[in-house]
Amino acid sequence: MVSIMAKSSFKQIQIGGVVTCVPALEKCIDDEVDLFGGNEKQIARLKKTIGLDRRRVVESGTTAADLCEAAARRLLNATSLEPEAIDAVIFVTQTPDYSQPCNAAVLHGRLDLPKSCAALDVNLGCSGYVYGLWLAHMMVSSGGCERVLLLAGDTISRIVNPRDRSVAPLFGDGGSATLIQRSKCESVAWFSLETDGKGFDALIVPAGGQRTPSSAETQVEVTDDGGNVRSAENLFMNGAEIFNFSITEEPKAVRDLVEYAGLDLDAVDYFVFHQSNRYILSNIAKRLKIDLAKVPMRTVERYGNQSSASIPSALCGELQDVLCGAKTQRVLLSGFGVGLSWASVILDMAKLPICEIIESAPSE
Amino acid sequence: MSLAKFIEDFEEAVEDIEPGSLTATTKYRELEAWDSLAFLTVIAMIDAEYDVRLKGDVLKNCETLEALYAQVSA
Repeated sequence: MVSIMAKSSFKQIQIGGVVTCVPALEKCIDDEVDLFGGNEKQIARLKKTIGLDRRRVVESGTTAADLCEAAARRLLNATSLEPEAIDAVIFVTQTPDYSQPCNAAVLHGRLDLPKSCAALDVNLGCSGYVYGLWLAHMMVSSGGCERVLLLAGDTISRIVNPRDRSVAPLFGDGGSATLIQRSKCESVAWFSLETDGKGFDALIVPAGGQRTPSSAETQVEVTDDGGNVRSAENLFMNGAEIFNFSITEEPKAVRDLVEYAGLDLDAVDYFVFHQSNRYILSNIAKRLKIDLAKVPMRTVERYGNQSSASIPSALCGELQDVLCGAKTQRVLLSGFGVGLSWASVILDMAKLPICEIIESAPSE
Repeated sequence: MSLAKFIEDFEEAVEDIEPGSLTATTKYRELEAWDSLAFLTVIAMIDAEYDVRLKGDVLKNCETLEALYAQVSA
């Protein structure tokens, strides 16, 4: 039995602007010598090869909803859109304000969106932004929506244990807003989406949900073989499994999508991957034999791994000039990770009225 | 495929290791340079050079380079 990848294509829909909001507070791995037991050589290795350096983290009192709200206001302002113009809002996050109601409904209220607007959350991380784009494209394509507001953001720094070397220095926070709208342009967007749920525990917060509710036990901190400290309510990552998964599935997914689109790799101007770390991205790029100049990979060293916000963050932080320019860029976006889930899209972008990183004000 | 070449590939994959400094009986997990990054670069090397997708548990449980090589060449 041959499974068909969830592949689809859409016409006359374009991205009309992207804004990513990062918190003002910056942490640097150089300041975390204690976390590494004084091992400065190790820090140097991580900086050089994995690409860890600085990351932005929220202070207590700021959430992904806040970061996305700031990004959305900037986006609506720059595109001269009133709230009434939005037909649907999708919020991609794994760190919502509440387990219910969804972040999309909360933001719907804060942004004064109309009653006629649909709102829903998508509980995905690394692959979430592309999933969000896919849903938005379907909403516009079916005729129901002229404009969809896609919000994607996370505050993973709040759910890692600060004494867990395997994750604490990696993750930063961010919130993004993207406008997807009907257009007259003829360019096509091609999507593919895949899952391997058997890998559900490779990246997981084991307790605090319905399977293992929060208790005194789930908050007990345990030290693992590597000397890393975490409780069952902290994020756990099986680095080796995620790494193996990324370097195996990603190149395959990229090649398959390019083939589905009837293109070859040279036809793509930029490959914007989920910014997990520079080592994984260079490994993937080398396997695909693509020019590294086409692969933004500086986002992790400046902002950290921003989960669902990492792809828009790379677009805003590294490709602002080309995407706001007149020349159409054919970009391939691809997110992979928690789920295990991966999703890719090839689409054209040009003349974005806005594509920028903004900083949120520190909480009062 | 040979143990000698495997040791060379291992030395090259891990940062801060002098070429020629390791032997078959080296307990690689006790090396100063052995960290989470070394872990990943060795997995990547074994995949690229030996076309084997090594599970993290195997790498965590083997003691010596020759034991690791035995797993890879099996």
